[in-house]
Parts: sequence; structure tokens; C-alpha cells
Amino acid sequence: MTHILLRGRDIPDIWKYDVYVENGGYEAFKKALSLEPKAVIDEVKASNLRGRGGAGFPTGVKWGFIPQSEPVKYVAVNADESETGTFKDREILETNPHQLIEGALICAWAIQATAVYIYLRGEFWDVAHELDKRIEEARRAGFVGQNIQGTGWSCEVYTHLGAGAYICGEESALLNSLEGKLGQPRVRPPFPAQKGGGLYGEPTVVNNVETLANVPWIITNGAAEYKKIGTEQSAGTKIFCVSGHVAKPGNYELPMGVTLRELLYEHAGGVPGGKAMKAILPSGGSGPIIPATDAVLDTPLTYEDMSKIGSILGSASIIVMDETVDITWVAAKVTKFFKHESCGKCTPCREGTYWLDKVLDRIMAGQAQVSDIELIDNVAKNMQGVTLCALGDFAANPIIYTIKNFRDDFMQHVQKADIKPASKARQAAPAGD
Amino acid sequence: MTNTVRIIINDQTYDVPAGMNLVDAAKWYANDDIPVFCYHPKMEPVGMCRMCLVEMGTIEKDRATGQVVLDENGQSKVRWMPKLQTACTTTVSDGLVIRTQTQQVQDARQNVVEFLLTSHPLDCPICDKGGECPLQNLTMEHGPGVSRMAFSDKMRLDKHVPLGDLIFLDEERCIQCARCVRFQDEVVGDDVLAFHERGRSLQIITNSEPGFDTYFSGNTTDICPVGALTTADFRFGARPWELTEVPSICPHCPVGCNISLSTRLDRDFGGKTLIKRVMPRQNEQVNEIWICDKGRFGHHFSRSEDRLEDPLVRERSGRLFAKSWTDALAAAAEALKAAGSDVAAIAGSGMSNEDLWALRQLLAGLGSRRLGAWPPTHAGAEVVAQVGVGQGTNLGQLGRGDAVLVIASDLEEEAPIWRLRLKQAADRGAFLLVMNARPTRMDDFAAQTIHYETGEAVQALLALKDSDAWKQLAEAHNLVIVAGAEGLSLDGSRALAGAAANILLETEHVGKPNSGLLAVLPGANAMGLHYLGFTPAATLDIMQNPPKVLIVTQADLLLDDPTAAHWLAKVETIISLDLFASGLTQQLAAVALPIQSFAERDGSYVNGERRVQRFYTAQGPMGQALPAWQALSRLGEQLGQGTAKLSAAAVMVEIAQNVPAFAGVSFKELAKVERQYPDVGGKDLYYGGTAYRNRGGLGIQIPTAADQGQTVARFEAAADEPPKTRGKLVIVPSVRLYNRERTFRPSALVHARVPEAYAEINSADAKKLGIQDGDTVEIAIQNAPALRVRAHVNGGAPKGTVIVPRHLSDTAAPLAVTVGEVSKAEG
Ligand SMILES: Cc1cc2nc3c(=O)[nH]c(=O)nc-3n(C[C@H](O)[C@H](O)[C@H](O)COP(=O)(O)O)c2cc1C
Ligand code: SF4
Ligand code: SF4
Ligand code: SF4
Ligand code: FES
Repeated sequence: MTHILLRGRDIPDIWKYDVYVENGGYEAFKKALSLEPKAVIDEVKASNLRGRGGAGFPTGVKWGFIPQSEPVKYVAVNADESETGTFKDREILETNPHQLIEGALICAWAIQATAVYIYLRGEFWDVAHELDKRIEEARRAGFVGQNIQGTGWSCEVYTHLGAGAYICGEESALLNSLEGKLGQPRVRPPFPAQKGGGLYGEPTVVNNVETLANVPWIITNGAAEYKKIGTEQSAGTKIFCVSGHVAKPGNYELPMGVTLRELLYEHAGGVPGGKAMKAILPSGGSGPIIPATDAVLDTPLTYEDMSKIGSILGSASIIVMDETVDITWVAAKVTKFFKHESCGKCTPCREGTYWLDKVLDRIMAGQAQVSDIELIDNVAKNMQGVTLCALGDFAANPIIYTIKNFRDDFMQHVQKADIKPASKARQAAPAGD
Repeated sequence: MTNTVRIIINDQTYDVPAGMNLVDAAKWYANDDIPVFCYHPKMEPVGMCRMCLVEMGTIEKDRATGQVVLDENGQSKVRWMPKLQTACTTTVSDGLVIRTQTQQVQDARQNVVEFLLTSHPLDCPICDKGGECPLQNLTMEHGPGVSRMAFSDKMRLDKHVPLGDLIFLDEERCIQCARCVRFQDEVVGDDVLAFHERGRSLQIITNSEPGFDTYFSGNTTDICPVGALTTADFRFGARPWELTEVPSICPHCPVGCNISLSTRLDRDFGGKTLIKRVMPRQNEQVNEIWICDKGRFGHHFSRSEDRLEDPLVRERSGRLFAKSWTDALAAAAEALKAAGSDVAAIAGSGMSNEDLWALRQLLAGLGSRRLGAWPPTHAGAEVVAQVGVGQGTNLGQLGRGDAVLVIASDLEEEAPIWRLRLKQAADRGAFLLVMNARPTRMDDFAAQTIHYETGEAVQALLALKDSDAWKQLAEAHNLVIVAGAEGLSLDGSRALAGAAANILLETEHVGKPNSGLLAVLPGANAMGLHYLGFTPAATLDIMQNPPKVLIVTQADLLLDDPTAAHWLAKVETIISLDLFASGLTQQLAAVALPIQSFAERDGSYVNGERRVQRFYTAQGPMGQALPAWQALSRLGEQLGQGTAKLSAAAVMVEIAQNVPAFAGVSFKELAKVERQYPDVGGKDLYYGGTAYRNRGGLGIQIPTAADQGQTVARFEAAADEPPKTRGKLVIVPSVRLYNRERTFRPSALVHARVPEAYAEINSADAKKLGIQDGDTVEIAIQNAPALRVRAHVNGGAPKGTVIVPRHLSDTAAPLAVTVGEVSKAEG
């Protein structure tokens, strides 16, 4: 099929303003400007578009939360893309940037925002630099700035670079970071869309890059057309970021509902070297890791079906592991990531990630006992559901699900260890990272 | 209560005010102490520590009918949330249901405590907080009892990080609750603390130069829920359970903060009772649960080496000799008898009401009514007595719809806790207008700032009527005017207070709580001086017409006034009652009588809000010093004025009988307390911190004339005559909180924070005089030795004006606004 989002693959130079416009670019924005803002929100609601940043919240509903009585409102585009194994927003930003700008502007019109802030992860400095030029092109064409297209409505678009923190992809930490504060999540409610909860306290829509890049297509072709793609509850296409042990890793934009098997074997070419597929991380490091059973492989990639098998679609960054992979090592590695990325604001995540990492080091070094597996399982469970933001749950998942689904891998590490008195074994533990 | 909501806590129903925080509501109404670490009733919730998790739900209502849905037992059905919720981030709402004692909740508390303890050093045996530590207490109550964290896995961090001169951080003990950071940001507005790094590496740092640059740092050690923050004054000094708490009143400024003196018998003080630390004592109307660092660290003067310990009499040789009380009192009595009624007294503003009454009675017995108040810098007290802030005023209640005007004062330096509370009033939406001839810290919090010409405060106030700000003041629900005296003569200060009073009268902001006048008077008991008949005007008269015998009590005229030696030369005999042996006592007193400081005796002060407040005997005595009221009353006995009084309480009885303002006041009444919100100082130290519950009394606020329904006439408010400069510069004295006064200098730990003596000079004037920033300059005024200071040329002074902070060097700086010459000093 042709792409809705990764159009750079069909139309080589679409990142160029002229090429974008030749291919219908900014027509959707013009159409939106001819509609009442509320009508735009209704159209997006009707399309069933759900947030592509991971949580899958209905986009139109989110826009509808913005209190129109407030004079100052903002759009924040989440281009932090820091989930492990995620590289979809980057491709949009690099190869189809005007579509994101257009989508963000349509959102801005729909909520009557005064400014759009595109928050990019710090490592995207070169992307941001190019994006600034694209924004200038849109400005020259009269799509950004004062009195846009003669509507009397004005809106600025800015880019802002983070400083390299996973947590700044979490929407309220992102807003703090945008404000120049420490990148830590905020207490909610108030939610970003509410007065007091958004950027500088003003109502703010925070949307992922991919989410917004869908919007021009929906406005041009209508919600009904959009809903024809994908499933009832998961409309449209989704970019699946496939990495790990597959022959052809990369981004695949496919209608939602495609099965894992089709994605991983037909599109991504299956596991190289004729090895068996052992495990799948469907949403980078943060989602529940699952064994690559037939039942799992036949699961359609939708929000609803993935939750049925006890996992999530999340940002659909699918990491594949073949039979050679030691899942204990995966758990240890992912835990290091979360320990490093925990913002430290709340107790269970700050202390828990540090603790888990210490014990896992010992397990990996063959100096742990069976009870240590129970310990980390329990510690991770104590982190679940009690933290200020979802990162605490993300950090607990890799432990809980690896132990649940791949207990043998853990047992190998502790069985190899000769059981010494706990204190001695502990003294020999490595110092961590 | 008008706006209440109904909530259910552990199956009990409570009606609580709408909008209240759930933790506060559970504590106040249900006596249910939900454990917290990061939440603090004086700050916004942040939901960080996760200790306050509870089961939460709402009473189910039928959407269509709005009726409560009942279950099979006829009970209202509760829709429970799937996960535990943090109580601290919850505002009460109708139908809210919580459970705080279930197994699920207990498990969650145990888990949070376990997480907190994983990297905690558990060095309670050597921790200053041990014994009064929220973490210790909550561990005992909810902790797992065993550690599953391998000891070798614990974080090892720096345990002695100075965050400035006064506060040390133990990084291992910090539980990252951000109370300290939030206190500095939200409550104080000096955002000098921050978090550095993230995850388990998250650490408190100071980002100011010098470190922790604020006058309120000590409060963070009270609200820190662990022993991570300790004061340089108290750390490793004593264990909390050894301490005896004595209620007292801070003697340093007109705010009159309620404090608690933590004392114990101490080897370092000859086995006598010693003040180990000064802590805040809750008085929501005065200081809430805060004190400034001067109050906290400024107690060492009470044991200063300079304390006068024996009565002294100057012999013919000119030398002072130690005498018995009997001999010294006889010498004083002899001088007084010889003078007849040609006697006057000057009393410092650190004297208690009882002292002042005894002094007044002594003079009355001699036939003199010349009672001078020291320092004679502000004449606003008489106006305050008429239209001061109404009875029941609580600056903590000012907010949206109210207005505050601060004029001619550098409030941060003169009355720090007023400044802190008014900053918060501004945060809550009160319109804050700050007026002064020069920029001050208060400008940072003001909605509007007006800088007038030096000395023209009254004119500026009169001109307000034609300004945009007028509407905000006139139409404000409550209006408080805070009038200082900076840049004004004594007459000018009276005129300013009068002009302020006129505004209050005109806009009908008198005689009711939360409205009226506050005068930024010098010292702790300037209002007491006023009520007991001591006036600054009398002092000026004494300066001009010196008496034969002058009794000076707790006032060092020489260190306060550079012209004092000049006018005192005409006094024949000086009788000095003082805390210190240096200064006036040593140089000029014929008889010197040692008196006790606030710490060694009981008594009472009247604060700037006219609240009579009682302090109690805390520390062991110094030498033979007596309370001043006693020394004076014994002197009276020598003079045949009747038997000496036996106790301060007895003196207060006499005051109450004779001085209308004190009608109904007695030590017993002053000691009365009632439950205050928020409820701090109980065993739940985790809620409010280590500020003490008030057990010594909330005091009694003296009503103003307006409070009593008297019609108050408009005041004379003629503009101050600007000093005639004749080519010279106007010298404006200013106040610095940290200085070299004898009541503060002995607190050595603060020395690094006391500025080197300086004067602010306008760049245009400096240029004309060839002076550059950092030069040493000499300031010469009439009848006084030259003052050598460092020139600051950085926008702090208006043109033609030199701002000279008082008490920064051993040479007295000008006491009152004057004119003088400034020249670059050689070498
Ligand atoms: C720890 C954490 C990290 C996140 N990182 C990202 C991210 O990198 N990019 C993103 O779009 N959303 C991220 N999210 C989700 C955002 O909080 C938010 O749900 C999203 O930006 C909303 O946009 P959407 O509705 O368009 O998905 C993260 C959430 C959490 C809890
Ligand atoms: S869960 Fe982790 S990342 Fe989220 S607020 Fe708490 S410490 Fe920070
Ligand atoms: S130093 Fe104390 S108050 Fe500050 S964050 Fe640490 S534990 Fe909290
Ligand atoms: S504000 Fe004034 S009364 Fe209060 S502690 Fe400080 S110096 Fe003492
Ligand atoms: S999270 Fe509620 S008290 Fe800390």
C-alpha cells in the first residue's frame, strides 16, 4: 500500500516544501481553516485516531478537553522519542517534516492555540536544525505567524531541544523541561489540557509526532475513510519499529490489525540463520516481554488484542530475540536503562531501580541465590502501581514478566553459583555501572 | 461552616471545608494521622514520597437521578479506585471515601519505608535528628523491621556538605522529599536550593553564591523529615531527649517570633542550664512555624564574654571597681538624691514591660517624667496605638482582594518574618505596593514599585491618590500599610505614619482584623516602650537638654549614635543598666548595674502588632546580674519608694492596674493557648516538622483606639523638611539584619555573613568625588568621628544620597538622617 505517514518512501523529496505542496501539502490545513475549530475536533474524534506516543488515548477527545474560554493555549509536540527500539518519529521528522508541521497547525487551529512547541530529544539537534528551516518555509508561505491565511488567528511554531532524558518524553516532565525546570513529572490532576496543568499553567495538548502526522490525511480524506483502515478500535496505520533478530529491521507502516507473524516474518524477513524466535518486546523496554509462541505470533497488532495477551501495543517498537538470547541478561540490561533514566522524584522508582540493578548485577555474576529471584520479583511488584508516573511500572515490567515467562533463564544463573553464605557472596558483588 | 463537603474516613462520616487537603482534613477532623514525608501543610503537595497512599473511592450516584446507589445491605455503594491513591495530592470532595488502616494500605506504607531505608545510612545513634526524626518514627510504626538490601549495596555519599556557613547536608540521609527546596521557593522566594542529577543520584545542592544565601535557612532543618539538614549551631551538640523546652520570644526585631529555647545542664557553661538551640514555636498569628536565622542563631550574646557580671562603681581615679549590689545601689541612690528631679532615663527596646514599668516608677518617685525611648528613629508607635492592625489580624490570611503597602522600610532586613509572610500574601493574590527611595528586596515580590526622592516618603504617599495604584488600595477588602522610617527624621516618621493612618481612615481600613497600620519599629519592645510612656521625642529632648543624672538601660548610646559622646558630655552622672561591660558602661558610666538578658528571666514584650507576649526563664544566670525590673525596684527601695517587687508577674499586676492598654493582662492570661491549625509539634513530627507546639501562651493583642470604637481624628501629616544639603550629601542610615551589634556579634557562626562596613553611593556622586566601587571612603558628619567604610557604587543609592548601614563596624554610623561629606580615604 502507499503510505500515509512515511510518504518519503513513495515520494522521494517530499521533505522539500515545493514537493510537499505539489503533492497536496497544506491543503488540509487550508481546509481546516475554512472549518469551525470545533468541526475539526469532531472530525478527529470521529476518525478514532488514538495517540501514538504509547498510551493510545483518543486524540480528538483530548483536544476536546481544552477549555475554549481560556485565552492562552498551547500545542506541545512530543518528539522526545526515547523509548528503547523506537525510531519512527525520527523518520517522519527527517523525511516528511511538513506533514508534522501541518498536523500540528491543524491541532493548533482546532484548539485555537497561540503557539506550538516541538520538543525534540537532545540527540536530535541536527533534526531540529533542519526542522527550523522547514518551519521558516511554512512561515514564508503564510502558514505560521501573524494572521494566518487572513483568518485573524496567529500562531507561532518553535522547536526546543531536551538535554537527553527519557523521562522528558512523559508529557508533564516534558512541560517542566520546556519551562526550563527540572525534567520531573508533575502531579496530575490538573492534566495538561486543564487550566493549571499545561505549559506555564495554560491548557496544552501534548501529542506525539506520529499522532499529529496522521491529522492532515484525516482532514483531507475524512474520518470515514480513515476508519476503513485498521480495526474498529484501532483505526488507521501504525509505524512498527522492528529491531533485534530479524533479517530486515526498520520501520513498517501497516494498517493496524496486522499480526505479529505477518509483520515479523513477511515484512521483516524472520529470524536470520534459521534460528527460533524466543521472545518479543512489543513496546521497547517498557512493556511486558512475551515469549514468541504461536498464539502470540497470531495476535493482531491492535490496542485491544495486545492487551488480551497481557502485553501492550505501546509505541509499537518491537524488539525480537532469538533462541540464543539469555533473557536474564535482557532483564539486567533493561533495568540498567531504567535505573539510569528514573527521574528520582518518587521513592519506589528511585530506590527500586537502584536496588534491582544491584541484585541483577549479582545474578549476572553468578553470585546470587534462588531467593534473590524472589526478592527482585517482590521488589518489582512493590513498585507497581504506586509511583507518580508510569516509568515506575515500566521499570517493574521487565523483571516481573521475564521471571514469569522465562524463569528457567534465571535459574541457570543461580544454579551455577555455588551457594555461599549470603554475606560473603554479597561482598563479592560488582560495584554496578 | 458554609461551604462543607461530606467525606468518609474509615467508615466514619465527617463534614469538612470544601477545598481542604485530604491529609489536613483527616488529621484535623478525624484525628487520623496519615503518614507523610514530602507533604507539608504549609506547602503545595508534590506526591513524591508515596508514603500517604490510601484506599480511595467515591460514593456511587445514579447518573440519571443523582441518587446515591445502595448495595444489597442498603449501604451506599462505593466505587473504589483500582490502585491506591496519594492522600496528599487529593482535595476533599463530596462523597470521597478513604480507608487508611487496611492491610493493603499498611503493606504500601511498609514498602515505601523499606524503599526509603535501602540506601539510608541508619546512623541514628550519631544523628542530630535521632529522637525527633519522622523517618525514625515512621520506621518504628510501619517499617519492615529487617533489611533485605545487602549492606554493601548501599549508596555511599558525602556526609558533611556545607550548604553555606549555617547548614550542613548529609547526602546519605536525604530522602529527596524536596521540602527544603520547596520551602525556599514557595514560602521564602529565595530559590537558592535545587536538585542536581536524577534517579538515585538526585542530590540537594545550593546554587547561590555564597551558599544557601537566605535569612531563613534554619527552617529547612525543622521541616527536613530526616537528619539530612543540620545547623552548624546545634549539630552534634546534644540529643533531643536531653533537652528541656522553654517558651520564649525572640528579642531581635518587632515581629516578636515565638521561639522555644532548647536547654540542658551543660559542662560548657559551668554545669548551668544552657541554650543549646533556638527553635520556632507555633503562633499562627505571629510567625506561624517559622523564624529567621537571626532569631535562630542570635542567642550567643546571652553568654557573651562581654557580659557585665558585677555591679561597678567608678572611683575618683576614673577606674571602675566591682562592688556588691548594696554598695552599687547606694552609690546610684546617692547620685540620684543629689540630682533631685533633674533626672532622665533612656530605655532600649530590648527592655521588658516589667523593666520599663519599674524604671518609670523610679523616675516618677523622683519627680521626673523624662522617659526616652531608644533608638529614637521611629515615632510611629503612637499612631499604631490608634489605628494599628486590628485585633485578630493574621498576615497569613491576606490574599486575593487585599492590598499591602510597604513604605520607607527594607523589610527583609528590619522584620524578616513580616517580609516572608507578606511575600506569601502577594503570592496568594494580595496587591503588594512597595515604596522606597532605593531598591530593596521587597521590590522582587511587589506588583508595583514606586521609588521616590530621598526624604519624600510623605509626599509620595500623599501623591498616591492620583496614581493608578490608589484604586487597588482604596477598594481592597483588607489594607495593611507597613511604614518604616528609612530616610526620614523622627518628625518625618511621625508624619509618614500619620499620612498612612489618614489613608486607612479615609478608606475605612481601621478597627477590623487584617487591616491597619504596622510600624517597622526598632527592636523587640518598641510598642511596650510606647505604652509605658517612653517616647523617642523625649530622647531628642534629653539630647538637647541633658539632665544631671541619666539612667541608661539596655542601650548603648555610643555604639548607636556617633554624636552621643558629644551630647552626653553635658550629663553629670550616668547610671547604666546593661548586659555588656563594653561601650557606655566602660567609658562613661559612674555606676553600672548588671542585668539579665531575655534568656535568664521572665517577662513580656509587646510586638509590632501590639501582641503582649510572655517569655520564661531558660538559661542559668551570668554572674550577679539581676532582671532590670528587680535592680530598679531595689534602687527605688533605697530611695524610700517602698518595698521592692518580688516577681515579674507581680510587676505585671501593677501595670495592668495602672496602664489602660494592659487592662486584663496577666502572666496567667498571657500563657493561655488553644489548638492551632495546622496541628504541629505532636508526636507526628512528620507532619509539621520540629517546630514546637505552643505551650507558653499565644499572648494578648492590645486593642487600638479604632478597635475600641473610638473615632480617630485625622493626623497631621506635614511633609518632612528635606535636610538642607548646602552642597553636601544626604546620609541615610539603613538597617542590616546581620550586623555587629553586641546582641548579635557573639554569634560567631554568622560572622562570614555579616557584610564588611560599606556605604552605597550613587554613581554620579561617586564620579564627581573620584570614588570607585570598592574604594575606602570616609564619611564625616557634624559632632562625630569620621566613619571609614567601603564604597559600593552599584545602583543602590539615589543621586545625592549615601546609604550607610548601621552597626557594621565598631565606629558608630549615623543614627538619623543627616548631611555629610564623603571623601576617598588614603591608604
Ligand atoms: C516514562 C515515559 C516516557 C514517555 N516517552 C514518550 C516519548 O518519548 N514520546 C512520546 O510521544 N510519548 C512518550 N510518552 C507518552 C507521553 O506521556 C504522552 O502520553 C504522549 O506524548 C501523548 O501523546 P499521544 O496522545 O499523541 O500519544 C512517555 C510516557 C512515559 C510515562
Ligand atoms: S516513577 Fe520514576 S520517573 Fe516517574 S516520577 Fe517516579 S521516580 Fe520519576
Ligand atoms: S535535605 Fe531533607 S528536606 Fe531536603 S530533600 Fe533531603 S530529606 Fe527532604
Ligand atoms: S523575624 Fe525578627 S523576631 Fe522573628 S526570628 Fe527573626 S529577628 Fe527574631
Ligand atoms: S506522596 Fe503524599 S506525602 Fe509524599
